[in-house]
Amino acid sequence: MQKFSFNRRLVIIIVCLIVSFALMTVSVAVRNKRSTPPLIQQFGNDIVGLTDRIVALPANGLSGSVSSISELLNTYQENQQLKKQVGELAQTKVRDQTLAKENKQLKQQIKLNDSLTDYSAISAAVITRTPSSWQNQVVINKGSSAGVVKNMPVMSGSGLVGRVAEVNKTNSKVELITDNNDSANRFAVQITTKSGKTVNGVLSGFNANSGQITMNNITTKAKISKGDKVVTSGLGGVTPKGLYVGQVAKASGDDYGLSTKLYITPATDLSDLNIVTVAVTKQ
Amino acid sequence: MYRLSKLRFGFPIGLLLMLFLDGSISQIFSTHLFRPSAIMVSHLVVLWLIAAVLFEDQYDIPIARWAAAAGAIFDLYYTGIFGVYVFIFPLAVYLTRLMVAYISPNFLSGLLIYFIDITMVEALGYLASRMVHLTSMAGSTFLVTTLGPTLALNLALFVVLYFPIRWVYNWLK
Repeated sequence: MQKFSFNRRLVIIIVCLIVSFALMTVSVAVRNKRSTPPLIQQFGNDIVGLTDRIVALPANGLSGSVSSISELLNTYQENQQLKKQVGELAQTKVRDQTLAKENKQLKQQIKLNDSLTDYSAISAAVITRTPSSWQNQVVINKGSSAGVVKNMPVMSGSGLVGRVAEVNKTNSKVELITDNNDSANRFAVQITTKSGKTVNGVLSGFNANSGQITMNNITTKAKISKGDKVVTSGLGGVTPKGLYVGQVAKASGDDYGLSTKLYITPATDLSDLNIVTVAVTKQ
Repeated sequence: MYRLSKLRFGFPIGLLLMLFLDGSISQIFSTHLFRPSAIMVSHLVVLWLIAAVLFEDQYDIPIARWAAAAGAIFDLYYTGIFGVYVFIFPLAVYLTRLMVAYISPNFLSGLLIYFIDITMVEALGYLASRMVHLTSMAGSTFLVTTLGPTLALNLALFVVLYFPIRWVYNWLK
């Protein structure tokens, strides 16, 4: 009798293991291929997302009020610094408007409707974050009903922070660029060097220890120097052109000495996200 | 007994609350919890489940079933990879039931049991993620940067929350 129950337990454990593997494999495959998760999962996630807001909103509100009190302390200094910057900003803004207008007129002349730089923005608040040490994901409060589509780039502050990994009706998951998994989508970027040459490439990963984005396999002869700005190139279709990624921190030879490896300092603090912007390419 | 007590609704509500608090804590304290040198993952859900086993007495809460439900929500809503925590959470409950049969639960033995449970949850979660290539972290790196700090955080939370949670369970009974 004892033996029988032991065998039964073993069978249950093995069956559970097999089912677990099957489910994991299926969900990874679905995640990589399909544009949205299955309908049932989407529905479930929407309901859970709505319930989560009951907990997340007060919690985030509380944290917001605490941080605003601490921010109050260094407001005076900040204010003086910002006043100086505002003067310059107004000038840039006016020039920007003129250029945008001119750009539009020129586009009309050559009958070009939308180029790679055109995108509209959806702002979203971060509801929650995946409690996991390797999956760097956040859940945002906008989904397919607001026009979010899988693989759209997500920005925060002044720079790129990730891409939309899963879309439900009212919320979606954003995979941050700090996530290093195999299936993570890499962004196509370009660097304009000081001599005016453009170098194209693909971001290849994130170095957690130094907090820098890495970029491998650059075979160009152009000299890339520290401080060169890295922006998305718009190649590949989903990401608009000209989203700021960061600055080159170091250029060095790769492990085999054949190509150049770049270290890029991200433009935004990737560990502290509250409000993000989803960039929607105009099709 | 279980059907007539407040636990019937109180337990699932607490479970959901803890599940969402895990995410909110990770979001609010992300700068402090997710440092590259020490990653701390809060597992309040596991704390709530283990506390249920420790404090249930003769109430016979269907904890394993609720653990599977919490695992399913965790997988679908947080990670997007179904089939990991939906099995790990019930396994943690089962393991705790086994241990409670041998050790009478009190504060210190509870701490010990929780230590073993968190180690198991984190280690199995890591193995599963390694297998589907969600992470390429080396085993030794995992031990140092994730498991150690996570244990420290969760044991600290256990010490702080043990008596409040016991009070909540006694109130629900």
